[in-house]
Amino acid sequence: MTTLGQFYPVASPVHDLDPRAKIVATAVLVAGLFLVDSTTGLLFVAAALVVLVIFSRIPVRRFLRLLRPVLFIVVLTVAFQVFFSREGATLFRWGFLEVHTGGLWLAFFLALRILLLVGVAGVLTATTAPVALADGIEDLLSPLKKVRFPAHEVAMMMTIALRFIPTLGEEAEKIKGAQAARGADFSEGGPLRRAHSFVPVLVPLTVGAFRRADELAEAMESRGYRGGEGRTRYRELRFRARDALALLVTVLILLIGVLL
Amino acid sequence: MRLELRDVHHTYAPGTPFEVEALRGVSLAVGPGEVLGLVGGTGSGKSTLVRHMNLLLVPTIGEVLVDGVDAMTLKKSELRRRVGLVFQFPEAALFAPTVEEDVAFAPRRLGLDEGEVEERVRGSLRMLGAEELAARSPFALSGGEKRRVAIAGVLAMGPEILVLDEPTAGLDPATREELVALIRNLRDAGVSVVLVSHDLDEVAEVADRVCVLRDGTVHASGTPAEVFYGDPEMAPATVRVASLLKASTPEIGIPVRFDETLAALKAVRGG
Repeated sequence: MTTLGQFYPVASPVHDLDPRAKIVATAVLVAGLFLVDSTTGLLFVAAALVVLVIFSRIPVRRFLRLLRPVLFIVVLTVAFQVFFSREGATLFRWGFLEVHTGGLWLAFFLALRILLLVGVAGVLTATTAPVALADGIEDLLSPLKKVRFPAHEVAMMMTIALRFIPTLGEEAEKIKGAQAARGADFSEGGPLRRAHSFVPVLVPLTVGAFRRADELAEAMESRGYRGGEGRTRYRELRFRARDALALLVTVLILLIGVLL
Repeated sequence: MRLELRDVHHTYAPGTPFEVEALRGVSLAVGPGEVLGLVGGTGSGKSTLVRHMNLLLVPTIGEVLVDGVDAMTLKKSELRRRVGLVFQFPEAALFAPTVEEDVAFAPRRLGLDEGEVEERVRGSLRMLGAEELAARSPFALSGGEKRRVAIAGVLAMGPEILVLDEPTAGLDPATREELVALIRNLRDAGVSVVLVSHDLDEVAEVADRVCVLRDGTVHASGTPAEVFYGDPEMAPATVRVASLLKASTPEIGIPVRFDETLAALKAVRGG
């Protein structure tokens, strides 16, 4: 049983919000974070994010796991700032390495900014089911239909892609098992040999994905799917007062952050 | 060789909300040249169980013994050669440009020389009646041909036990017949076979012993007659017919295979 995806299904006020509100709020925050240029401001936004995570009922460990993919970038950024920035008083010197107070501050500031960016996006993906996310994106992109942008098709492709990630994952596991039963070993040798040993997995996986795509297209057509024109939805999105409120609070938090 | 599972438990994703206990203490054994039929509904743990036979899955509790030796202590490659595992829909793992190369994958991984590899490939394709497919692309074959080629790919390792997970699912009757014949041939050649199947008629034809799995435990096991006559609701057509007639004609006995049943019916009618 694989637990792919970051969606954490619990009932919370944050889960309950309209996906469009959450997407817009995330976009505003991610863009706005680049306007916050004081550490105090960032800390304020960080405090707000902590409150948000508490409201969303995502377990802390689960949330921290969302941040793990960028850990490397954070470490790299911190190392660069600490060792190569020459601003402020010198703290100590060791050979050609010098650590200055300005560098430490900048390192902290940048690390915090990266973690906030990822954390904000993480709350969105952890509290919004992939399908709701795709629905929201379709709705937000729908004004572009006037200029012939295929908003429905893009959203449908996203939904299908998301839907098939676990399926393909399972399929890959099965094929790996079958090849292992024929003596394949995916852990021995250098990176090149290991990549080579995945050919017997990747070829059938690709073939299977194409077959699945064909079958899915036929199944959709036989159920009358003809694209987005005139298509209604099972789940109607409703933008309620609390969604507007959430957006307003987001903008306010960001404004305070920028002004601090 | 003798493969034995002792009190095997398996829990998927332990310690998470997705935790599932798929096996709850399964013990069974397959002796040399024996065909064990493994039956049970979907979700009874059959597929999880067969993955323990070559340790693709490691038991959460319990052990797997090969000729009395803990399989965990054996080299994985050695274990997987001796216990050939054919997955459900094994044709999904075909990958090489030609059938020949695909079947040669396993023997090459064993490090055999090319002459030996070629011999193994030809031999196992012959056992499955698929020699004439050798030069074709595995992706251009029919469903039944693909299945046979995929099974040949495992057989080419020269396993001492062949584990087949629903080998006849979705096949036409002729190919099914051929696979049943293959299982008999393998047994005659001294290879043990574990046949996982939903098709009780098929199991009745070839199994020396039957093991019924239910909710991750062994619900019943024994000779086909013992198991099937113990629960005629869950039995092949032959056994259902015979047990219905048993009330009025007890002399029909307990036939299981088709030819046995036919002979018993003829005897009853004649006598």
